[in-house]
Amino acid sequence: MKPILRLEQVSKRFGGVVAADDVTFELMPGKVKGLIGPNGAGKSTLLNLISGIYAPDGGDIYFDERKITQTPAHKRARMGIGRTFQTPRFLQRSSIRDNFLLGTDLGDKLGYFKSYLGCRGSDFDKEFEKLLQITHLEFDWEDDINSLPFGKRKLLEIVRAMLAHPRVMLIDEPAAGLNNKEGEYVMDMIRYASREQGIGVMLIEHSMEMVMNICDDIVVLSFGKVIAKDEPKAIATNPVVIEAYLGEETDD
Amino acid sequence: MVNGQRKISLGTLVVFALVAAFVLIVPSVTSGYSMMIVNLSLIYAIATYGLSVMLGMGGMLSFAAVSFMGGGAYWVANLCTGRLGVSMEPWLALLLAPVVFAVVGFIIGSILLKLNGTYFTFATIALVQVAWCLFQNYRPLFGGPDGISGIATLEMFGLKITSYTQWFYVLAAITLIVALLVERIRRTQLGRSLAAIRDNQTAAQILGVDVYHTKVIAFTIAAALGALSGALYCLQGRFVSSDMFTFERATQFIIMAMLGGVNDTFGIFLGSVLITVLPESLRVLQKYLKIVYGTAIILLMIFMPMGIMGAIKDGFKKMRRKKREALMNVAREVKP
Repeated sequence: MKPILRLEQVSKRFGGVVAADDVTFELMPGKVKGLIGPNGAGKSTLLNLISGIYAPDGGDIYFDERKITQTPAHKRARMGIGRTFQTPRFLQRSSIRDNFLLGTDLGDKLGYFKSYLGCRGSDFDKEFEKLLQITHLEFDWEDDINSLPFGKRKLLEIVRAMLAHPRVMLIDEPAAGLNNKEGEYVMDMIRYASREQGIGVMLIEHSMEMVMNICDDIVVLSFGKVIAKDEPKAIATNPVVIEAYLGEETDD
Repeated sequence: MVNGQRKISLGTLVVFALVAAFVLIVPSVTSGYSMMIVNLSLIYAIATYGLSVMLGMGGMLSFAAVSFMGGGAYWVANLCTGRLGVSMEPWLALLLAPVVFAVVGFIIGSILLKLNGTYFTFATIALVQVAWCLFQNYRPLFGGPDGISGIATLEMFGLKITSYTQWFYVLAAITLIVALLVERIRRTQLGRSLAAIRDNQTAAQILGVDVYHTKVIAFTIAAALGALSGALYCLQGRFVSSDMFTFERATQFIIMAMLGGVNDTFGIFLGSVLITVLPESLRVLQKYLKIVYGTAIILLMIFMPMGIMGAIKDGFKKMRRKKREALMNVAREVKP
């Protein structure tokens, strides 16, 4: 099987800070890759490079074996790179329905004109029901998005990204600010996306329990550099990783 | 249902009732000069709808509406007097004005929207000044300070539209069509994409929205509506001169949108009527009008940033939320 996403020696500098340093890895369809590292290691930067918000200073990014290093962000989204943010980003003064339709718009690819003339895209109802079942969400379509609590909004953002039928999902700290139950729903969702839908998932998460539980393999970043790539079990005992997280052991 | 039909809400019905009342009652209680003022407010409303697409939906502050309004007006003025050696039936010139200025708007928008945020806004201010200067001084096309007069009368379906009351019906019909077309934008993909751009450009891109392209489309629509408004203005008054298309007028459009509700279709109409008609009925206060005006705008921005309609909608939302909370409390008490 061919990788759905491949990074080849990708680098990014912000002034003197190296946020990504020769990062190379690949993501297979249907697999979950964890991206961990101490604060400021360049995890979110890497997601921004993949989704096209930043352009890399060096190296190349391939999606489905096609070079996308220079492709603008909205085209990458249309190709099938989905993304969620640490703090969910929605239309502030709009209903939940309108926020969702943004996701189905991307999935439908109707275009403004056809949409204006009243063409309808595919029927999302069944799919939607399934996604809401996994996330245990209930709400009123016409409510303001901001009337929902933070945790629900985070789950909804993942649901919205799923509606666009991505082939790669970049998920940035889904469990931060969620209670245990909601955290489990996130895991169910990631399992559904990867195992059942064959989506390649990249997951940034600080909850080690979640990362160890759900990831097929893990990339550890420190100061923009990949310091380890391995299976979860091996990562947990890797001395280089422990050192990066806890600092060097000294003999006193 | 995600993408199913929405129900027609009570609010929509109320709005339609108000519009119907406006169309039925106003012509029977007004005539002559005051009718013309009402007509003017409808003409302004059409241009302000363009602004509502730019500012209300897309969050881009543009002053350019007034220049495209001028463009549409002089287009009609030149073609319906035959002063350039070409003449056209007024109805055809009217119909073509938005089409021609959509093209012009597309080209100008493609250039100006390379700029972002405040820089874009300042560029539109410059555009307004340049356009006004041309209207004022370039005689061959714009008649110079004297303007252009002697414009042919609009004739539709064999009927000459001459009296202000006849014009009222024509303008009311066109304004209603424009309002419905604009409301349709809000409910389809273009409106949602613009809203996404307004709220967060990065998130919009992640959802596959081509930010630049979408902004240019909005600018094009605004230009077309501006030109339509200008063409109607010119045909009703059968005269056009540059003092209509000043920066002050551009500001007035923005105030109209802000007062009524920049992101509300009925609000735009309401704002246009209030800002055009109220100063006329408050003539006694003429001396102090600008002070009242200015103070009102400051208070409006502080207490009703989304205008009258925004405030009403927020009120209803709050009521709904309270009702639901009350219901939930009852449910909790019933449970053992």
